[in-house]
Amino acid sequence: MKNYMKLVNFEFNRIAKLFAVLLGVTFVIQIVGVIVQSRYYLNMANEIMYEGMLSKSQFLENYDKISFSQIMNSMWFLGSIWFCVAAVVFYIFIIWYRDWIGKNTFIYRLLMLPTTRLNILFAKITTILIMTLGVVAIQLIMLPIETLLMKAIVPKEFIRDISVNEIVTIMPEFSFIIPNSPIELVLIYGAGVLAVSILFTAILMERSFKWKGILGGLIYSAVAVGLMISPLLINEFFLNGFFYKIEMFVLEIIMGFLVLAGSIWTCRFLLMKKITV
Amino acid sequence: MIEVKSVEKKYGRKKILKDVSFTANKGEITCLIGINGVGKTTILNAIMALTPINKGQILIDGEPLTKNSFEKITFIPDTITMLPHMKIAEAMEFMNDFYTCWNQERANELLGFFRLDPKDRIASLSKGNTAKVNLLLGLALDVDYVLMDEPFSGIDMFSREDIANVFTSHLIENRGVIITTHEVGDIEHLIDKVVLLDDGKVTKEFSAEEARENEGKSVIDVMREVYQR
Repeated sequence: MKNYMKLVNFEFNRIAKLFAVLLGVTFVIQIVGVIVQSRYYLNMANEIMYEGMLSKSQFLENYDKISFSQIMNSMWFLGSIWFCVAAVVFYIFIIWYRDWIGKNTFIYRLLMLPTTRLNILFAKITTILIMTLGVVAIQLIMLPIETLLMKAIVPKEFIRDISVNEIVTIMPEFSFIIPNSPIELVLIYGAGVLAVSILFTAILMERSFKWKGILGGLIYSAVAVGLMISPLLINEFFLNGFFYKIEMFVLEIIMGFLVLAGSIWTCRFLLMKKITV
Repeated sequence: MIEVKSVEKKYGRKKILKDVSFTANKGEITCLIGINGVGKTTILNAIMALTPINKGQILIDGEPLTKNSFEKITFIPDTITMLPHMKIAEAMEFMNDFYTCWNQERANELLGFFRLDPKDRIASLSKGNTAKVNLLLGLALDVDYVLMDEPFSGIDMFSREDIANVFTSHLIENRGVIITTHEVGDIEHLIDKVVLLDDGKVTKEFSAEEARENEGKSVIDVMREVYQR
């Protein structure tokens, strides 16, 4: 456990600076986005009022108020969030390959540490999870700041207040940032950890068997996804919806645990018996 | 004792190691000699479970390698095993964090011996000094066995002398060392035992001292006999 914690600390510190830059850039882009979008709305409103000789109240009767969800729906937000997601997904691969590729042969040291090699796997999964939660946490901190900024730029009467829950209802793709319930949070991140463990298995297969490993990794990933959706398919096509929704849900959870255990077992086997520096 | 028993290793269809067997004792320097590509590095990797073997068995003091074995045996590859952006001091801290057998006193002694500055970043070091850091990180572990892969290759004359001096010092004393090389000259006088490899097999295993005393032959003389047959 102590070695696992040390490895997590070490792995996270390896990416911490770059990760901070990523979050910093995201913050700047979103702040610029809030300013640009708010001013754009104000200019538009002014123009319409000027050209139509409308009063504020007449304008507000005929045109939409601005809400924060409109700003979030812009490329400034969508782009920066997806960029963060893409960066973390990219790092799922880099976190392994950086130890082998180029002049770096740090994998020798990692594999020769007097601790179970599974700790290397767990430390890398944890680092990815910390990064994801980091993106989410920073986003949650940024949202109120950005809302305040919008309110500072746009006069109060032009703003339609919107709660965080409403944002998620309007844009369900953000539910991973703002889950509706603690159960949803566990499910979303559980599924995330499962996906990362499947990808890690595929990567370790490639590292162990090279070209054959790529094929093996692809087959493994396909089988894992197949197993995950098998209860749904069987229920739909063979059992004519025999199971209740809640039963399907439990089946899916059980399947998730099985696939996760299978992935970890396979990774352990590869790290102990098949890996090549 | 390290026992390598009938080890076979294939890369694809090519057999790199065909039935390799030899032993290396504690307190002795065993040298694996062979031309490039004969499988010397693969043997060291296999001993450390850094590459799988297809057949055979490797034992360290009668037991297969486990995670705890890494407190007893260490490997110094021919490339640096630390992150290039780390300072030497940080690399030592890393080792101290993970290995209970890390001996800081000895590490400091090695720093002085090799004239290294702990504040230097590994990436900024010359090839010779990088090799010395690698050696430092391995030798400062209080382990019974040290494996070294080509510690002299591509290194300037003075660094080679420094490294060769390590072998005659107390830093190596009482440990079992397996060293690979294709240039025997630098350490011929230090070797206790020689394992000659050719075509993935052990062609001869002999004691350097016995060859000198009984047959009046140097290691190079025996190599000439074996390889030019």
